[in-house]
Amino acid sequence: MVNGFIILFGLTMLYLSATSRIVAHIRLLIAQGILLFLICCCGYHHMDLLNFGFLAIETLVFKGIVIPWFLYRVLRKTHSNRDVAANIPHFYCLVISSVILLAGFLVSEYFVSSMKLISPMFFGVSVATIIISLWLITIKHKIISNVIEFITMENGIFLLSLSVAKEMPMLVNMGVLLDVFIAVYILGLFVNVINKEFNDLEVSNLSDLKDYENND
Amino acid sequence: MISTLLIFPIIACILTLLIKNRKFNTFLVGLYAVVHFVITVLLTLGYGEKSVPYFAVDNTNLIFLIILSLVFLMVAVYNAGYVKNFEFPDKKISHYSFMILVFVLSMTGTLLSTDLGLAWVLVEATTLSSAYLIYFNKTKHSIEAAWKYVFICSIGIALAFVGIILLNISTGAVNSLSFAELYSHAGQFDLNWLKIAFVFMLFGFGAKMGLAPVHFWLPDAHSEAPSPISALLSACLLNSAFLVIVRVFKILDLAGCADYARLMLLVMGFLSLFVTAVFVYHIKNYKRMLAYSSIENMGILAIGTALGGAAFYAVILHLIGHSLAKASFFLTSGNVLELYGTKRIKSVNGLIKADSKTGWLWVTSFLAICAFPTSVLFISEFLMIKQMIIEHKFVLCALFVILLTIILYGLGRVVIKTAFGNVSDDKAKVIADNKHKVNICMYIPQFVMLVIVFVLGVYIPPFLNNIIKLAIGGF
Repeated sequence: MVNGFIILFGLTMLYLSATSRIVAHIRLLIAQGILLFLICCCGYHHMDLLNFGFLAIETLVFKGIVIPWFLYRVLRKTHSNRDVAANIPHFYCLVISSVILLAGFLVSEYFVSSMKLISPMFFGVSVATIIISLWLITIKHKIISNVIEFITMENGIFLLSLSVAKEMPMLVNMGVLLDVFIAVYILGLFVNVINKEFNDLEVSNLSDLKDYENND
Repeated sequence: MISTLLIFPIIACILTLLIKNRKFNTFLVGLYAVVHFVITVLLTLGYGEKSVPYFAVDNTNLIFLIILSLVFLMVAVYNAGYVKNFEFPDKKISHYSFMILVFVLSMTGTLLSTDLGLAWVLVEATTLSSAYLIYFNKTKHSIEAAWKYVFICSIGIALAFVGIILLNISTGAVNSLSFAELYSHAGQFDLNWLKIAFVFMLFGFGAKMGLAPVHFWLPDAHSEAPSPISALLSACLLNSAFLVIVRVFKILDLAGCADYARLMLLVMGFLSLFVTAVFVYHIKNYKRMLAYSSIENMGILAIGTALGGAAFYAVILHLIGHSLAKASFFLTSGNVLELYGTKRIKSVNGLIKADSKTGWLWVTSFLAICAFPTSVLFISEFLMIKQMIIEHKFVLCALFVILLTIILYGLGRVVIKTAFGNVSDDKAKVIADNKHKVNICMYIPQFVMLVIVFVLGVYIPPFLNNIIKLAIGGF
């Protein structure tokens, strides 16, 4: 059961790399939030109630509702619907992401299975998610896409932390949630500000500060 | 004591939000600086309780706390003069003061935290609070700098969290992230996972510390932030990230794979020196130049940590010297910016003639940062070179000296060009208009810090020597 959810989570990353509509990306964040919640539910038997409740709120409310809602609002304000001019065509994006995902499975199967603490499936998918997100950040042209990929990377890290059979201390979990939430909030505010100042959301606007040029 | 250090700014923050008055808000920042300094002095003298849950003062972080406290006090004095020149509404000043308070609070928390997870959370909090301060001037360039800063540091810190998770895997039966627990069980950790975890944490916290090749946010952020903030970023923020790296390094040392960690630190340290040597030579903006100099000095700290032995003593001396000298340099650059209204090196000439006090502070700060005797940085760099020779690392020693010389030339060229010579007529008019903006508060802090830097080069008081020697135990 849990493996099915994890594979679905991995597939959402393929969908992310193959589509260009930003609304679809935000819906995908909702899907990821719900999947993470389901994965938490499957591991409920070795958690205490407090921790489980916290994780449920984190995944379902924050990752599934608050952050996507906030991004959706930013999107409506900035009127940017597509990230069309990616450096690499979507088909190749899909191929490369699939290869990374496959590599994640293989690596975890060969190297991690000796460790009893973590499940290889968790480990492979989460590492692949982190790498795919980082890679997508480098090729996308709209800064709002960068924010979305930052969140998918955080989701990948969250999955990795679930894969550790031991739990992180509650305090750390709460701090991480708070920081990520504020980071997304601040990045969202900056998206608005950048949109106002430059009239669009191209990353290329933000390459003016250089060593060899005179900037005041 | 410690709880006052952490609770006072929260109350002050609420007050800044309630009462939006320029003088009152600046006063609160100053008051926190004084409270911070007094409490740090009391803690140093051994008064008050040394630990509360999750936070504690130990031998290692005491010296970091003293530096933070002193620099913050000096920056607060400078800030009192600096804020007078702001032509912004009171509401914005209150946000500015609020963010400074949160920023210093999160840095203090990072230094004092006894738990790796909590330190991580607070390091991320420093990023978020200083982002607004970098964006404060609301120009296109400051947006760009702030965006890069938040984005690069958040990703770096996220990778550091991956490192923490991997560390958690390597710890086996130990289910805790407190440094004390990690230190006491370090011998039982799984070394392979520990090594991978260290790579992630070094890159994550290294991004925050400004080590090459993950330093890209640093020149932009330092050059676009208001000068008091640049001073805090360079002299305090980088140190707090360094402390976390030192703590993690200690875990690897106790686990028996220090050589691996040393190699990584050495590579990143030399890469930082190399990057600075390459870029500082063609630089067109004097605040960026100072930012690159910070990267260089962080590189030196990493190299010193990698060398070990007597170099640990040098690292702490370097930490003190760099923080004070660089804070003074950045604050003086604020004066230059007020006077000339530009950050271009090309447009700044004859600083000593324009304003002799700023000019000489500028030159003296340069002498302090380039390790001119009797600057304490001279002693620290000398000790590091000595350590390299003792360990028969002659190639590294030669590389170190050559890179430092290139950087010295790069900095020296700019400082001599800007400080000496004559002021052109059109600039003279601008300076005459702006001269009233530079008030007495904007000279004293630099003077005090430079005096400390140059005196420490000749005489290190026994109590400070004692603190430094105790701090070495944490490396």
